Amino acid sequence: MPVNDQLLSLACGLFLLCAVGVLWRRELTALIGLLTLQGAALAGIAVLLALDDPHPEALAVAVAVGVLKAGVLPWLLRRILARVPAARETAPLVNVAASLLAAAAMTLLAYAAARPLVDLAPAATARAAPVGLAVVLIGFFLAATRRRAVSQIVGLLLVDNGIAAVAFLATGGVPLVVELGVSADLLLAVLVLQVLTTRLQAAFGDTDLDDLRELRDR
Amino acid sequence: MNPVPTGLAAAGVLAATGAAVALVLPARWRSAAVGVATAGVGAAGAAAGVAAVSGHGWRAEYPDVLPLAGVSLAVDPLAGWFLLLTGAVAVVVGVYAIGYAGRGGHGPGARGPLALLPVFVAAMLLVPAAADVPTFLLAWELTAVTSLLLVLVEHRHGPAVLPAGLWYAVMTQAGFVTILIGLVWLAAAAGDPSFAAIQDAAGGLSGPVRGGVFVLCVAGFAAKAGAVPLHPWLPRAHAEAPAHVSALMSAAMVKLGVYGIVRLGFDLLGGGPRWWWLALGAVGMLSALYGILQAAVATDLKKLLAFSTSENVGLILLGLAAAGLLASAGQPAVAAVALAAALLHAANHAGFKALLFCGAGSVLRGTGVRDLDRLGGLSRRMPATTALVCVGALGAAALPLGNGFVSEWLLLQALLHQATDAGTLWTVVAPVAVAVVALTAGVGVATFVKVVGTGFLARPRGEEAAAARESPPSMVAGMVLAAAACCALAVLPALAGPALDRVTAGLRAGPRPFEGGAVDLRLAGVGSTIAPLWIAAGVVGLAVATAVMARLAGRPRRRAAAWDCGDGPLTARMEYTATSFAEPLQRVFDDVLAPEQDVDVTPAAESAYLVRSVQYRRRLPDRIEARLYRPLIAAVEVAGRAARGLATGSVHRYLAYMLAALILVLFAAAVR
Repeated sequence: MPVNDQLLSLACGLFLLCAVGVLWRRELTALIGLLTLQGAALAGIAVLLALDDPHPEALAVAVAVGVLKAGVLPWLLRRILARVPAARETAPLVNVAASLLAAAAMTLLAYAAARPLVDLAPAATARAAPVGLAVVLIGFFLAATRRRAVSQIVGLLLVDNGIAAVAFLATGGVPLVVELGVSADLLLAVLVLQVLTTRLQAAFGDTDLDDLRELRDR
Repeated sequence: MNPVPTGLAAAGVLAATGAAVALVLPARWRSAAVGVATAGVGAAGAAAGVAAVSGHGWRAEYPDVLPLAGVSLAVDPLAGWFLLLTGAVAVVVGVYAIGYAGRGGHGPGARGPLALLPVFVAAMLLVPAAADVPTFLLAWELTAVTSLLLVLVEHRHGPAVLPAGLWYAVMTQAGFVTILIGLVWLAAAAGDPSFAAIQDAAGGLSGPVRGGVFVLCVAGFAAKAGAVPLHPWLPRAHAEAPAHVSALMSAAMVKLGVYGIVRLGFDLLGGGPRWWWLALGAVGMLSALYGILQAAVATDLKKLLAFSTSENVGLILLGLAAAGLLASAGQPAVAAVALAAALLHAANHAGFKALLFCGAGSVLRGTGVRDLDRLGGLSRRMPATTALVCVGALGAAALPLGNGFVSEWLLLQALLHQATDAGTLWTVVAPVAVAVVALTAGVGVATFVKVVGTGFLARPRGEEAAAARESPPSMVAGMVLAAAACCALAVLPALAGPALDRVTAGLRAGPRPFEGGAVDLRLAGVGSTIAPLWIAAGVVGLAVATAVMARLAGRPRRRAAAWDCGDGPLTARMEYTATSFAEPLQRVFDDVLAPEQDVDVTPAAESAYLVRSVQYRRRLPDRIEARLYRPLIAAVEVAGRAARGLATGSVHRYLAYMLAALILVLFAAAVR
């Protein structure tokens, strides 16, 4: 197995492990640290792929991904946390042990469901593609089972990281335009959620999304 | 130069111009300009249709017009027949709309409704010209959307308009969905969405696929055609839409449903097993009977005409079913006659129903009411409209001299034909169908006698009718055009013979149904002849001769008061009303119609025998609607309320739904 492939497998493993870690840890600061690490792993995947097939555009995409996922977004999240001092912990609706079991099941499902994707191109990159799918599912699970609004942001970012990873691994690189568009979307979503979180804090003195239930029309 | 693409291109350009002009011009000129443009679109479409039925074929592909699918057009004689029909109706309606829409204000004279009118006509012309599934579906949906907007034009005028629009929207969209599923299924099974490829591949498809496609598509087409039991939108939408829109919908758009059934059943699938046609024939018979019975007891003029549309569509479907059944029984010659009868009846119905709806619009405009019980005496105040409506009513009643007679006679000829080797089924079914047609024709005569007799003759029964005004010249001109078309179809149907020959030949339905002949229709497969011109000449000659003889030989004429039982002058209260005229029929068909009647007798004080007032109320709810649709609507409502329990307002729950859906999809993919 060439070194490059081994490095790629390592990066993918780290990528998945970070997602599982997000489910495991309760403190929000730790979550943000794990997310930063995952962003770095994703950037690593992009760099490795760009090195495989040296191309200035692919390298630019890799750098952009790294700056955004390991730099800008975690910084924004820290700012939110600083504004909402009360919320230190994630307050899960499903306890951590069950969450981890669910994550294992979802990873299995991802590997089972992504078989046609793997068969498409029997290379190391495609073999790792199910990892991205698993992270998408874990991100969704996180968003659905954690109370604080910051957790939903983290979940959204996990979902996006997963999609980006599948895109990188299955197609061997994403055009710069596409990556730019997706990143701009994500940045906007996080900014909007930041405003929402501070508003929630101001209105309810808490950032539990279930307080929004009152807004439903009957 | 091929006149077909020229005509279609002219129609498209005129429609765009008409729409643009409607948005730009000041109110004074708007309706005149749009009316002329709409009539132009219709004339161009009709010209293309005439060229197509006289043998000019045309086919073209525009792959860049729409993403992914492109647009593909083709015009064969069948498409030409419906282009001609739609275009001719649009000419009538265009001329009529100049006066009807008036000058500005809310309603049909406003910018939007006028701009939509030529677009609606162009969309209807596009439907028969489509040559692949995406183009057909696009044109179909465009027709549905524009017609829906036009139905809603007078939404400020009455509370019934919005429900009518809702019914129409739901039923037409539901029909669109079934057609969509059916045609996409067919295209997928055939491997190519173009009609030509489907035609080639259809023979090799399995029976369940063909049957499934036929049932799905015919359900959608029959809903558009207003066949019972898919009719509840029709009396509502036709009654509440402005008159020119009702005329376009009833005379032209409803026929597109018929076109769809012919195109699918006879052309794309190339005929089918017996059960298709038996089912279609059952729907046709039910429509014919139920439609004419409801029309016979209706008192709202436009609702009556709408139910009569259901009846005529039923007869057309019956003709199609007979053609399909005979073709599958190995009787192509008689099948061709039945098919020609159905197509000719579609044209005849388009003629007289456009005329009658325009006439109803004139009545509504001149009096403000459309309740026959409050009309009467219009022949004095609106002589032109009355005469023209009489022409239409004669056609609708299917009596000789009217145009409906010819096609119903053709249909009866095909049904009565003793096809000895057509099998037991035909010998059982055909007499039933003949009985249905005969009963329908009989009740139809009573219905249109009621329309003319209580609506236009006698004395006015209300102040509105007494103060009626004749319509402006352009409305009368539009109706004169329609009446002229009706008379031409009534007297010289042989002119349509060669066109119908080509249509049936193009469908490979059988040999030419007509043997030619300048003034008479000779039926090749049945060995029968009809010469409407000679019938007309005979009837008119006989009437004139009788009148002259009476004048010459009889006693001199004298004027005298009408017999009034010696009880003072006759008043309008003594006349037959529409309700009382239909009462015997309502009694006969009491079990079918199930009217809700209410008689309130208020006695004078302390006496059971001296009556102060009697109140009679009658309601005729649509039983099919009450039994079939009300439970369905109630069930949907219950399901909708129950489904609200899913939406608790919790963001987590919504996210969990999404996660569950995603996992389900992935699981299905993994298991497969």
